[in-house]
Amino acid sequence: MGQNAGIMSATVFIPGPLREYCDGASRLPTAAGSVRAVLEELGRNRPSLYRNVCDETGAVRRHINIFVNDTHMRDRDGLDTKLVPGDEVIILPSVSGGR
Amino acid sequence: MPERVVLMIGTRKGVFVAESSKARKSFTLRGPFGTGVAVYTTLIDNRGAPRLYASSCNPFFGMKILRSTDLGKTFKETKSAPEFPKGDGRALANIWSLEPGAGKKDLWCGVEPASLFRSRDGGDSWEMVEGISNHEHARQWQPGAGGLCLHTILRDGDRIHLGISTGGHYLSEDGGETFQASNSGVGAGFNPDPYPEFGQCVHKMVQHKDAPGRLYMQNHGGWAEWDGPGGRRPDIGVLRSDDYGRTWRSIAKGLPTDFGFPIVVHPHDPDTVYVLPLEPATRTCPGGSPAVWRSENGGASWKKLAKGFPKKESYYTVQRDAMDIDEQKSPALYFGTTTGQLWMGRDGGEEWSCLFESLPPIHCVKVATV
Repeated sequence: MGQNAGIMSATVFIPGPLREYCDGASRLPTAAGSVRAVLEELGRNRPSLYRNVCDETGAVRRHINIFVNDTHMRDRDGLDTKLVPGDEVIILPSVSGGR
Repeated sequence: MPERVVLMIGTRKGVFVAESSKARKSFTLRGPFGTGVAVYTTLIDNRGAPRLYASSCNPFFGMKILRSTDLGKTFKETKSAPEFPKGDGRALANIWSLEPGAGKKDLWCGVEPASLFRSRDGGDSWEMVEGISNHEHARQWQPGAGGLCLHTILRDGDRIHLGISTGGHYLSEDGGETFQASNSGVGAGFNPDPYPEFGQCVHKMVQHKDAPGRLYMQNHGGWAEWDGPGGRRPDIGVLRSDDYGRTWRSIAKGLPTDFGFPIVVHPHDPDTVYVLPLEPATRTCPGGSPAVWRSENGGASWKKLAKGFPKKESYYTVQRDAMDIDEQKSPALYFGTTTGQLWMGRDGGEEWSCLFESLPPIHCVKVATV
């Protein structure tokens, strides 16, 4: 995100509460080829944003959902879901988790 | 600037800061900060310019530590929060305690799953304390109702006491390098062996700075009627140690119940200790009638303090870190309830009044003079 400008194929949608961890951006371009690669890229380039999405074991946090376009990644191939040009990876907090 | 009394009130929906003159006639409230996110511990660090800290335990986005350098007018996240090392396999689930360390910027932090972290730069970076976090008992501890939490950190030079629920009391005498379970006399009513080496459900411990060998513990009581294996376990809930936590004995006789969560010691008298007994089955005020109980002789006898409280129809819980006492000449106690009330007991708890009636459910209360 940033260093691969020019060959970007997909975008990552950032929900409002997490935009303070990426300079206010609502969308980040990515050249990653899978959801897992997107998260790895976040870990390298946006570590504080990454920590909000994944815990220190690398697992996606319990109350975070990741969609590729309109399909939850669990209904495709999970973290191994492949991305194609034009895809949008959507990070969303779930409706569970708050009291 | 004249001295002020500052309260930090951690709630299910963020942290509030209340401030008063030393007279404590009225408090002004600001917040919430970390809005909408549960706060289980706070710290008013007044070693030098005051710094206020609050854990912010976000079920969506993980654990943060908030810090204020303007006495709670604004808060910002520290550069990082405790994290288990790569490959450890555990993930931080909650932050339960923040305490100052020996160095001016040293902080200690107890977390869930029960582990200890240390910062040497005011909370911007953290390292796990191996001696307890990877203790040979650590993978055998079990969570209590509040989770498997390291909730109490008491320091006295190189001696460090930890309270873990459900793990028990652990003692280090080498500055935190190594820890030993130290639970002689601490009961575990829920265990077939009522006095195991470790695994007790310690709720809270306190220590007086002028009498570090004397400790008080609110343990998980409420087993007076138990008729299962091992027999009755009366009075295991409120305990005292006079040998730096090596052995403990009951001081619960005279209380209406030995169940409760917080325990507080008087700032000027190590013999004066306060508890807030709760009905064991419901964990609410016995008979719907709140009362703080005070002993002025180290637990030999107790007096009920209830002037100003409702006499009925109050069924709240006061959680383990939700009671504190200020350090004024005639100190006041403060406690917060799960129903969002913040009570103040003037003159050492002789007379109570409700400062704030409708906050979110309160997890923790700290007070300091700054």
